[in-house]
Amino acid sequence: MVTAGASLATKLGKLELAYPTLMASGCYGTGEEFAPFADLTKIGAIVLKSVTRLARLGNPTPRIVHTPAGMLNAIGLQNPGLDWYLEREVRKYADRPCKIIGSVAGFSIDDYAYVCERLAARAEIAAIELNVSCPNVASEGETFGCDPDLTAQVVRAARSTTDKPLIVKLSPNVTDICTVARAAETAGANALAVINTVRGMAIDVETWRPRLGNVGGGLSGPAIRPIAVLAVYEVAQAVKIPIVGQGGIENLTDALEFFLAGATAISIGTANFIDPRIPERIVAELHAYLTRRGLAGIDAIVGRANVGFATPYQYEGTEG
Amino acid sequence: MTTIDQKAGVHATTVTKRRELATDVVLLSLDAPKLAQATRPGQYVMAIPPSGEKAATALAVYEAEGKLASLLFFITGKRTRELAQLGSGDRLDVVGPLGNGFDCLQDVRDVAVVAGGVGIASVLLCAQALLRAGARVRLFYGARTAELIVDSQRFADAGCELVVTTDDGSAGERGFVTDALACASKPQLIYACGPSPMLRAVARIAAEFGVRAQLSLEETFGCGIGGCWGCVVPLVQKSAQAPSFPPADAGGSDVVYARICREGPVFWADELRW
Repeated sequence: MVTAGASLATKLGKLELAYPTLMASGCYGTGEEFAPFADLTKIGAIVLKSVTRLARLGNPTPRIVHTPAGMLNAIGLQNPGLDWYLEREVRKYADRPCKIIGSVAGFSIDDYAYVCERLAARAEIAAIELNVSCPNVASEGETFGCDPDLTAQVVRAARSTTDKPLIVKLSPNVTDICTVARAAETAGANALAVINTVRGMAIDVETWRPRLGNVGGGLSGPAIRPIAVLAVYEVAQAVKIPIVGQGGIENLTDALEFFLAGATAISIGTANFIDPRIPERIVAELHAYLTRRGLAGIDAIVGRANVGFATPYQYEGTEG
Repeated sequence: MTTIDQKAGVHATTVTKRRELATDVVLLSLDAPKLAQATRPGQYVMAIPPSGEKAATALAVYEAEGKLASLLFFITGKRTRELAQLGSGDRLDVVGPLGNGFDCLQDVRDVAVVAGGVGIASVLLCAQALLRAGARVRLFYGARTAELIVDSQRFADAGCELVVTTDDGSAGERGFVTDALACASKPQLIYACGPSPMLRAVARIAAEFGVRAQLSLEETFGCGIGGCWGCVVPLVQKSAQAPSFPPADAGGSDVVYARICREGPVFWADELRW
């Protein structure tokens, strides 16, 4: 029980979280599935699986391949579509002991705005994550998040529909993530989720076939952590809005890396597949870490690894 | 199938015995009274890796009696190799029991239980429950070779009639276990766990017999508890096991993807569209 010492509360725009831990979209179901095994009162928020305007069956199987230090997935946004979701699913979230963040995916600017407006209107939903970076749907999914202008258009359209906090989930599969981050910020995003999965593929050398039904998938887990840490570090220097750091966080050390790189909150995904008690453990250890150092809260460590970037001049100087 | 057990939880267990039943086939006995009490035939656990590295591993609960729950598994990769290194006195945390297991109907008198390879791990509790209910239980048990026919005496002692097959003929009849099933007299109901080609053959044979079959499916899991939708199988919409998510009219298709880990792992063969 966290009662004394450092505070773990954090904010993403107007969204106040008792704990700086989000459960990543698509990794935690609706919370109901994990409730018998994890203490939902000890997490900040659950980001729901992305919902689209129309129902989607999702990708053919296999959808999961375990890889060294990670996992490839290609679920393909299986979801019941917005109408069913609003009618039958969302009300179940009213009694969750943590905040619920809706996730919106789409195939046009209009899709994002339409789904965002109707989902954000629900009292059960505290904030919206815009999934502009799903790598697992044919052609369109990641297109928005890989183009700064399209990202800005999605965010602007969604922004016009709601005052609730908007979190934009960025793709690492871009040349310069900072350009996309700035575009999202300028268009009205309240926070950025950095990063979505890294595109990847595995091949069965016996059958000579791709191991995922979708051929390619999204790589998660510790394999992508250094990629994510640098992305957070860079984005933190490019924007002023808060960042949710994510990518292979499994323990306190991993979490601290993200905070020090500039994240205001962290998101835990694949680690829940190792042990559903990991989020609660990270929160307890984070509290102990901050308290031991006499720190008041998360703010004291956010972005503290920010020393800027080494320039060519510095290298010349050391050689001289 | 039966409904999800609300008694599922994270269980801190202790290994009481480790037996190597064959090369790379391990039976871990656990002191796990709550798990043993809650587990029904065909359910499984997610074994949390002691090293904290890599995803948890889905393993069938082989035995569940009193304080004992046991896990019978083949070493197939790094995760099972790590678990196989556990010995008496070691701790093992497991999440479970999970999934909807076999529906061991009380009113069937003559059943066939079909196990292929490591599939044997899922059917002991099922066979025991059916025997207790007074059914005649024929176990059709196939493996690649004689050494991999493990613990068959256990089934015989429990009262099963055994039909063993091996691919190389080193034990029992030479051939596939499904060949033996197809040649046998018609049972009232079939229960099966094994590799996918075997299960498809069982489904076909059941249809030829005109009887129903419950199949325990395997797929690579992400979370293993219903959170990630990674382990799905196409199911006809009218199935009672079809998930409410997505709805029946999703995409204008007559199938829905059900989660093997949550709606399954046991499905009625005639409701699968695989």
